[in-house]
Amino acid sequence: MAYRADEEYDYLFKVVLIGDSGVGKSNLLSRFARNEFSIESKSTIGVEFATRTVHVDDKVVKAQIWDTAGQERYRAITSAYYRGAVGALVVYDVTRHATFENVERWLKELRSHTDPSIVVMLVGNKADLRHLRAVSPEDAEVFAEKEKTFFMETSALESLNVENAFTEVLSQIYRVTSKKALDVGDDTAVLPKGQTINVGGKDDVSAVKKGGCCTT
Amino acid sequence: MSGGGGGGTGGGNPSSNLDWRFNQTLRNVQGLLQSRSFPGKVLLTRKSEPLNVHDSPVHSKEITRSYSENDRGDEHACSSHEAEVISSGRTASDTNLQKPNISTSNNANTPPDARGSVSGARATDSARVAKFTKELSRPAVILEKLRELSWSGIPPYMRPNIWRLLLGYASPNTDRREGVLARKRLEYVDCVSQYYDIPDSERSDDEINMLRQISVDCPRTVPDVTLFQHAQIQKSLERILYTWAIRHPASGYVQGINDLVTPFLMVFFSEHLNGSMENWSISDLSPQIISNIEADCYWCLSKLLDGMQDHYTFAQPGIQRLVFRLRELVRRIDEPVSRHMEKHGLEFLQFAFRWFNCLLIREIPFHLVTRLWDTYLAEGDSLPDFLVYISASLLLTWSDKLLKLDFQEMVMFLQHLPTLDWTHHELEMVLSRAFMWHTMFSSCPSHLAS
Repeated sequence: MAYRADEEYDYLFKVVLIGDSGVGKSNLLSRFARNEFSIESKSTIGVEFATRTVHVDDKVVKAQIWDTAGQERYRAITSAYYRGAVGALVVYDVTRHATFENVERWLKELRSHTDPSIVVMLVGNKADLRHLRAVSPEDAEVFAEKEKTFFMETSALESLNVENAFTEVLSQIYRVTSKKALDVGDDTAVLPKGQTINVGGKDDVSAVKKGGCCTT
Repeated sequence: MSGGGGGGTGGGNPSSNLDWRFNQTLRNVQGLLQSRSFPGKVLLTRKSEPLNVHDSPVHSKEITRSYSENDRGDEHACSSHEAEVISSGRTASDTNLQKPNISTSNNANTPPDARGSVSGARATDSARVAKFTKELSRPAVILEKLRELSWSGIPPYMRPNIWRLLLGYASPNTDRREGVLARKRLEYVDCVSQYYDIPDSERSDDEINMLRQISVDCPRTVPDVTLFQHAQIQKSLERILYTWAIRHPASGYVQGINDLVTPFLMVFFSEHLNGSMENWSISDLSPQIISNIEADCYWCLSKLLDGMQDHYTFAQPGIQRLVFRLRELVRRIDEPVSRHMEKHGLEFLQFAFRWFNCLLIREIPFHLVTRLWDTYLAEGDSLPDFLVYISASLLLTWSDKLLKLDFQEMVMFLQHLPTLDWTHHELEMVLSRAFMWHTMFSSCPSHLAS
């Protein structure tokens, strides 16, 4: 492989973080990627990017995570990043019901840009603010079931379930992908391009769905 | 810049020619910085003797000193603030990128003190101040002259007045100035009571959403600077943003515009407060003064954004255009870096979108922002054009480094530029090089054609 030892991986998955502004997407990512949290983090403009490598079974899975701006105005820009994503965390804030209501729109938007087999996790963040809770986990569970997504409540502040949420998404992607026996690691020609986990794009051959994009 | 989109069949510049031009640029930049009394625009002298940019530590020291000489009043505060920031983090490798950087940042860490030693710089500096004073004392300020002077930096205590003039907010005519300002400040107060100070029941759903978005963003606006943590300032910011957004329905509030108010807040507050920014006691100011500051910020923001109307409208075409032009310009200036980025599938939108959206505020330490904005405001209507050159210059500060990075490393590097320990010296380098490239490329559109 073309990378240093610590850069070696078997799978490279692109995951997007979406949801309303201020629900804590950037802090979920910084908690997962660097174990950091900042009370007053700046708003995300356009997209921000981080990676982390995790182990799933005996495989090394590298996640390329795109954190997107929550404001409506940025959708035109951020939706370009949905392309090729094989996983998504759709985040709402358990203390702001409106952010939960908007999840439906986020899902619709996501699904219109990605492969149907994309692994989606509904994430209710800020679960530490128990006294301010406005969305019950039961309601969210029902919704997630209806939308056929996974569901978890998290607290980026208390580092609650953050690891679980991401690794669950990654292992689910792995399960779907490995079934299709696509070993990205076999194809060094694809890897160095970095952004090539185009396994879910509409015009791309989907690794998740059909597999075998490396044979072309 | 007329050559932005390319066009023309091009003069067939072989890449060796480009290399030559690139080296020439670096030499020029250095020459420029050496004889630092510029209003940058005139000094395009070509040094005949070879100047190697990499053995510039000696020069850089002089430059930095002359800069600290140049700065007065609240800039003292900035130096100590900067020292704190440096001690709070940043890996050694970050500062290792360029030899000149090391020498200058060390130098800058030695607080204001070392300044006394360079008496030549003091003379230059007071000469500059005298020039500003002369321009400002005219019955009708000649904006072109003021722009030329301001391009290379404005003495901090003169900034509030000069920014208001450069933006066309204050009248160049001394007799009318106070009257016009008083009228505009009243007009702002009227706007606030008409649009902001109303119950939610009188707002549309969109307006309520916009207000909510603004109130989410105000507390997280430049959160690393304590001034903006002040509740009263956040409230001012909210009123400014909401009023602006309501009066500019084509764009409305777009995240990042909040950042753009902060240099104005800082500069207009500095007019009424002494000492270090960290110690400013906002609560001592009368409501009238705060209202005036707020009004000035509002109008200056409006004037600034008037020149960038389509940067914040749907899909932000103005910004997309600048990103495209940046890519083209980098291709002309530094083919290896451009090829490397392309090979790894890096898109300029992935990092430069924020650069343009927030006018680089997020990419450099805040204590350098006002200096950067002196140049912005001096550019006036040409600012969007020139931003492309500044961005190219900023990006190519790390051209050697970029060549060693893969896709992921590049995205992360460019989204978190190692500028935390930057001093005026590094910023001046970026600006001067931008100026050089602008002079070379925009006057010869074929340089931009492929």
